Amino acid sequence: MIRAVMVMNTLGKPRLTKFYDFQHVEQQQELIRRVYAVLCSRPENVSNFVEAESIFGPDTRLVYKHYATLYFVFVFDSSENELAMLDLIQVFVETLDKCFKNICELDIVFNYSKLHTILDEIIFGGQVLETSSTEVVKAVEEISKLESAANAIIPKSVSGWLSRST
Amino acid sequence: MALSGMRGLSVFISEIRNCQNKEQERLRVDKELGNVRTRFKNEKGLTHYEKKKYVWKVLYIYMLGYDVDFGHMEAVSLISAPKYPEKQVGYIVTSCLLNENHEFLRLAINTVRNDIIGRNETFQCLALTLVGNIGGREFAESLAPDVQKLLISSSCRPLVRKKAALCLLRLYRKNPDVVNVDGWSDRMAQLLDERDLGVLTSSTSLLVALVSNNHDSYWSCLPKCIKILERLARNQDVPPEYTYYGIPSPWLQVKAMRALQYFPTIEDPNARRSLFEVLQRILMGTDVVKNVNKNNASHAVLFEALALVMHLDAEKEMMSQCVALLGKFISGREPNIRYLGLENMTRMLMVTDVQDIIKRHQDQIITLLKDPDISIRRRALDLLYGMCDVSNAKNIVEELLQYLSTADFAMREELSLKAAILAEKFAPDLSWYVDVILQLIDKAGDFVSDDIWFRVVQFVTNNEDLQPYAAVKAREYLDKPAIHETMVKVSAHLLGEYSHLLARRPGCSPKEIFSIIHEKLPTVSTSTIPILLSTYAKILMHTQPADPELQNQIWAIFTKYESCIDVEIQQRAVEYFALSRKGATLMDILAEMPKFPERQSALIKKAEDTEADTADQSVIKLRAQQQTSNALVVTDPRPANGAPTMNQLSLVKMPSMSNVDHNSADQGVTQENGTLSIVDPQPPTPSNGDFLDLLGPLAIEGPPGASVQSEHNLVSQVESSSNAEERLAIAPVGEQENTVQPIGNIAERFHALCLKDSGVLYEDPYIQIGTKAEWRAHQGRLILFLGNKNTAPLVSVQALILSPSHLKIELSLVPETIPPRAQVQCPLEVVNVHPSRDVAVLDFSYKFGTYVVNVKLRLPAVINKFLQPISVSADEFFPQWRSLSGPPLKLQEVVRGVRPMSLMEMANLFNSFRFMVSPGLDPNPNNLVASTTFYSESTRAMLCLIRIETDPADTTQLRMTVASGDPMLTFELKEFVKEQLVSIPTASGAPAPVPPQAQPSSSPTALSDPGAMLAGLL
Repeated sequence: MIRAVMVMNTLGKPRLTKFYDFQHVEQQQELIRRVYAVLCSRPENVSNFVEAESIFGPDTRLVYKHYATLYFVFVFDSSENELAMLDLIQVFVETLDKCFKNICELDIVFNYSKLHTILDEIIFGGQVLETSSTEVVKAVEEISKLESAANAIIPKSVSGWLSRST
Repeated sequence: MALSGMRGLSVFISEIRNCQNKEQERLRVDKELGNVRTRFKNEKGLTHYEKKKYVWKVLYIYMLGYDVDFGHMEAVSLISAPKYPEKQVGYIVTSCLLNENHEFLRLAINTVRNDIIGRNETFQCLALTLVGNIGGREFAESLAPDVQKLLISSSCRPLVRKKAALCLLRLYRKNPDVVNVDGWSDRMAQLLDERDLGVLTSSTSLLVALVSNNHDSYWSCLPKCIKILERLARNQDVPPEYTYYGIPSPWLQVKAMRALQYFPTIEDPNARRSLFEVLQRILMGTDVVKNVNKNNASHAVLFEALALVMHLDAEKEMMSQCVALLGKFISGREPNIRYLGLENMTRMLMVTDVQDIIKRHQDQIITLLKDPDISIRRRALDLLYGMCDVSNAKNIVEELLQYLSTADFAMREELSLKAAILAEKFAPDLSWYVDVILQLIDKAGDFVSDDIWFRVVQFVTNNEDLQPYAAVKAREYLDKPAIHETMVKVSAHLLGEYSHLLARRPGCSPKEIFSIIHEKLPTVSTSTIPILLSTYAKILMHTQPADPELQNQIWAIFTKYESCIDVEIQQRAVEYFALSRKGATLMDILAEMPKFPERQSALIKKAEDTEADTADQSVIKLRAQQQTSNALVVTDPRPANGAPTMNQLSLVKMPSMSNVDHNSADQGVTQENGTLSIVDPQPPTPSNGDFLDLLGPLAIEGPPGASVQSEHNLVSQVESSSNAEERLAIAPVGEQENTVQPIGNIAERFHALCLKDSGVLYEDPYIQIGTKAEWRAHQGRLILFLGNKNTAPLVSVQALILSPSHLKIELSLVPETIPPRAQVQCPLEVVNVHPSRDVAVLDFSYKFGTYVVNVKLRLPAVINKFLQPISVSADEFFPQWRSLSGPPLKLQEVVRGVRPMSLMEMANLFNSFRFMVSPGLDPNPNNLVASTTFYSESTRAMLCLIRIETDPADTTQLRMTVASGDPMLTFELKEFVKEQLVSIPTASGAPAPVPPQAQPSSSPTALSDPGAMLAGLL
């Protein structure tokens, strides 16, 4: 099971966090701080694995990927394959890239709400939901359509019809 | 993609971004929270759009780390909004902000259910996502059947079904008792035939959850998993969108292999063959390529395949192939692959056959201790730790020591702990062990926990051969210019105890030792000074005849610290000063530390405690147990007969001295009695339990009688604990006795021991008393084994022998205290003076905590122990038999109420009592003749003859004739045999005895037998 997803920048500012085990807000910040402290001290060209048990407790693993100014971090337990998790980070990032066309940190900052939508199409309650970025993009586009349709003050009945026909 | 069109949110985010520092950010956030709070309060004018905007702001602020105590209700209420965007926000924010037990969730449960059973698929997806993230018990109770329906519905789109699968997984994981999955095996098997890879991936995850709980119901899914693997890995039958860098859905391959690992084995040869074919393909067909993502994906599959191969316990050939692959990985260029190569090698250690192949890579692994990546260095350390055994310990530990000087600070503590444990477990000799630990302290003193130096002191104390060596080493380290404080502690302790063994060496006179240790005193902290004071006191004690100059120096130090603000230091100074003026008594009081009771290493225990109980770790433990070196064997003196080992792992902390008690119970008593002070140097906390062991006795050691009037503190504890003993002793013994129940039947144990020479005489939850006896003629030696089953000592142990007049019994000294988990042997010398059936009684008592136990046990020094079977021929028998013509030398009696038994059984019975049955001597086949020699001081060796005449028609009665040269012997023997015949103990495997008072007429078998009835009437 995936315990947490964190996206933070290289200065340690959280950009997106989602905990699949409930954590109190102070606890969340503490975890983010400690993960950042470990990540920022790691040089380039090392493995993507970091010892996580001292931060998240027994039976936890952590993989991260560093893209430009952002760290993408997944925390999970031994029921998941480490490299497959690393692949999933890649899928997440590729999907973001497809949705935002050459994604950068600013896209993530200002489309905070969209990120949640996208993440929810990839990870569901701590389990891998979808691994094909094509499928994720399809689902997300469907949702955006619904949103803009609603914003255009289309009657509710039509919105419902739209969702079933797509 | 379009922005979500919430201008207000974007403005807020950019304002936060423009904040120069955290304080500004906090002000901006507070302002916004105030604003949102006011808007939420006057909810009337709030549109759904505005609500949505504010709820997003709340979530954003929450992510920044500010506790938001409002807005939850608004988020939940948005769930029931009619329009999609508001509803979506409601669902997303609710599942981020609330935990599964939040009471507001209850308010939403109906809306969620309506969305799930409604026909709007996008609403279904939102609702499933919420339940899948934070669905608790109530959701499981009301929604599980609906979710199950969605999963198997053929009219639902894959988008909904894959979410339903994972939603169900969540509900099942959280509440397996609520979600009914009976009969799901067929459905699962069907779901695994799914073509859509999204649904298939989710379904496989669900299967993993189900089989991990109960694999037995899902055997039908096993071939399906193999099919999925064949479809992906062999046939590459996947739509392009599910091909990830050329690899057919690595996630699904991984999941399918994970599911297979939950089945204990694969019996079906066909399934096994096809699976191994796929696995072989994966193992062989994976190459390292340039593209990192492709590499990761293909190796994700490869490592999962390795895990599955290990799980399936494949043939050795395939295993060695795997190790070879791993060997290639750990020397590869890709750090991720190196990391996982090491991790999987560690896992591989559990496969017994391949350890030797792994050892071949030892040098490579040692090189990885210097890898630029700390994650990899850690893995290398774990692997070295796991693969260490007697054969390579020296090599590995020395490498670790060498690495210690350059290792990162983050790793030093772990490194030194591991080196210490390996050194202890696998030391080829003890002096090497001492060397390693001292080097550890020297190189990484800050990272050497107290446990490590406590342990080395313990070993030195318990091994006399080691003491001079350790003292020399300690002395050498003191010559170094700047040594770590831990080194000061350990050296001071060792030299205090053992420097007198070095007295003749240059630089080792008491004076020199004292001054080199005293040099360090200004540099150490208050926790070390007490140890130094003890050392001075010991040096003083060993300096005989006293050296006045040294004495004055040390006394001056004691006087100086008499007014120290630290209580511990002050107390020691006062005590030692007073003690050192007692002259010869000092020798007794400050005598060498007694040996420590053997125990499990606190270090190893600590390591075991911290190790997660994963399979690989426990296997390492197991191996370590099997391969522990003999050099440091920790003997646990438990009774040999396999008493249940309770608390085997717990630490034992008690030097075997009855008057020194750190037992927490006694300490409680001390406080309760309100004596002046508690003398424990430090409160016994778990972390310094060993510390107490090491140093406690130094401070308060000494017999209670030592007339140390000035040390009121010193003796107060001793006094108070003896008060406590008295107080407990006054308590009525009988009452307390009832609370400790013996284990097993005492009478049965006694009867069994009458027939054999060793076994358990008595057992209760705290103690086990075993006996072992040797008998020669009229003498015997019986050893009592008193085994303390606890981790606390048994005190006030008393054993008294109440011996009958015919037995002379001498009991050797029984110690007053039986140390924890220790076994004490108490030999008993027995001399048989004259024949008698009377039995000696052992009156045994002890105290454990508040229990006072007193038992009276019959000792198996019974008459038949002094018999020696002797074979007598007919030529000898009949003259003897005739010469012993009648009473009192020859006695005859008709015995009734005999336990029915065949002649054969009776013969066995006599044999077990050490009579020699001579078959055929008596012409009547229904009769039995036996002979034996009886030994006692009065009778010397005396021949005894017995004849039993049975009646085949009535086995409940017989006529017995006993003859010997001594009237008393004849009588006692006759009575003894009679007792045995009417009441046969069950222990020797004979059928249950009929109670002796039972009359033949009352026995059911007798009633059915007319002959018996007649006999009864007669």
